[in-house]
Amino acid sequence: MELAVELVGQGLIIGSGYALIAVGLTMIFGLMNLANFAHGEFYMLGAYFAYSAVSFLRLNYFLAVALAIAATMVLGFALDRLVFRRLRREPIMSATMATIGLSILLQYTAQMVWGAYPLSIKSPFPPEPLSLGPIVVPVNRLFIIAVTIFVIALFHWLLKSTRLGKAIRATFQNKESAALVGIEIERIYTTAFTIGAGMAAISGALLGSIFTLLPTMGGFATLKAFIVVIVGGMGSFVGAIVSGLMLGVAEALGAGFVSSAYKDGVGFIVVIVVLLFTPQGLFGGKS
Amino acid sequence: MGRAIALAAVAALLLAVPILFRDPYVLHIAIYAGINVMLVSGLNLLVGYMGLLSLGHGAFWGLGAYGSALLAVKLGISFWVGLPAGALLAALMSFLLGNLILRVRGHRFVIITIAFQEITRLVHYNWVELTNGQNGLSGVPSPVVAIPGLLEINFFAKENFYYLVLAFAALTVYVCYRLVGSHVGRALVAIRENESLAESVGVNTFRYSMIAFGTGAFFAGLAGSLYAHYSRYVSPDVFDFIHIVEMLIMILMGGRGTIAGPVVGAIIFTALPESLRFVGLSPAAQWFTLGLILVVGILYVPEGIVPRVARLLARRRGARPAAATENPA
Repeated sequence: MELAVELVGQGLIIGSGYALIAVGLTMIFGLMNLANFAHGEFYMLGAYFAYSAVSFLRLNYFLAVALAIAATMVLGFALDRLVFRRLRREPIMSATMATIGLSILLQYTAQMVWGAYPLSIKSPFPPEPLSLGPIVVPVNRLFIIAVTIFVIALFHWLLKSTRLGKAIRATFQNKESAALVGIEIERIYTTAFTIGAGMAAISGALLGSIFTLLPTMGGFATLKAFIVVIVGGMGSFVGAIVSGLMLGVAEALGAGFVSSAYKDGVGFIVVIVVLLFTPQGLFGGKS
Repeated sequence: MGRAIALAAVAALLLAVPILFRDPYVLHIAIYAGINVMLVSGLNLLVGYMGLLSLGHGAFWGLGAYGSALLAVKLGISFWVGLPAGALLAALMSFLLGNLILRVRGHRFVIITIAFQEITRLVHYNWVELTNGQNGLSGVPSPVVAIPGLLEINFFAKENFYYLVLAFAALTVYVCYRLVGSHVGRALVAIRENESLAESVGVNTFRYSMIAFGTGAFFAGLAGSLYAHYSRYVSPDVFDFIHIVEMLIMILMGGRGTIAGPVVGAIIFTALPESLRFVGLSPAAQWFTLGLILVVGILYVPEGIVPRVARLLARRRGARPAAATENPA
């Protein structure tokens, strides 16, 4: 029983990372009908930027995370203007392959800059865990959960209560009608893309303090995020968050009770079953 | 007439490669190029002619490689049995998988094929008793033809293996060429251009997508077996995502939906990384270059090199573009 609680806790940490990446991915997918295979690279870059800010600029961890998010968002903005804007008109195959090319380009850029060896971001938190009654939680993990909740709440507020959010939701529902009422679709796309890149970067900078950094981590994040997006229902934010957490927990439980070797297989099997039997995903949404 | 002369010239050139280039390194690249031609010509049926993006083709070449290598290493079965066995294993798997997934289209199909390849990789990586896991299978024997007293050919020699691969690559291209020129090719293009219309005029879209998928898997299995017995080693690295990306670069940059395009693409993009290494680029820089070529290529040469060159040549001659009818829209 204690093991199960421990595993669920671990799963929620990883799952919150999946959720943050998947929210951005599903927003880009829903708005632009583009499967962005380079999305996980923003997660990877967020982690590496934070690493560099801590190790080379000698910044405080929290400042470093903020800087990493800002830097990734600037890069996301630039890539959207340079590459993604032109892919929106392309058929699925060309667009998908171009994003795969971009993902390789970014991954190996990272390898040339930071090397292929695992790195880690020095955690600013004391190693002693916090005791909350019977539950013992390491402080850094608590911090990750808290930030994730804050970011998701912020995103929710942005979507529901601001003019920008209203415009994003309108574009999400119907591009042509949104354009007709005067929403500048291209600006919405770029803004949404930049926000998505930032959310992936937050996830990378946070999880980078408890896991090791590798240039290949982005590719894996992309695959996991796609699983989450499909299982949750393409274009559903609630679905992305819930199924992100579920995938994290399922993997942790699978690793603990079944076989750690096949931990990553859990998601792949789930995604095939979901796609074949409930193609709309668990939380419906538009396809 | 001109076509026949050109074909004969290409054939003569290909047959002369081991005589023209004594360097074993050149032959080594030529052998890999031939294996890649087999992989991408088959995948092109699905990706180029039918317009369905599969990212799971590496699973079939891995199954062919492991199937044939396991038969040889564990049971001592000859390459000449293992080769068709590996290919049939890949084809059987594609049939089972195809029955599940070939009704799915678009982004969903892309993701399912990745998931399939990842599961296949995990199984080969973790089933250590059978596959030796991460360490891979070594000691896969080179093919040998021996008729006692008459002749003995050992394909350990690179020039011999080159001719073996050349024969199978030519067979693959020929089968694909015949298939594409038949009603199958026309059905695949009809599906690509407008699937509901094709269905409404009576094209059994599921059946034709299965033919494209299965043929590609069969030749990928053959290519995998040849690869295993050439390198005499196979590891779960054959399932790496990067290999399927290489294949798609060859198809898309060469010219999808044409017979010559993927062949030319396979030759160029097998030789290019080696050339980049030759001029001193690190492996990371080589991959960076390939990624860059893919992004820039899709934006500026979306139809691929062969159709683009054919169009430029046709325009220079003032004739109507010959390859235009073959291009995907």
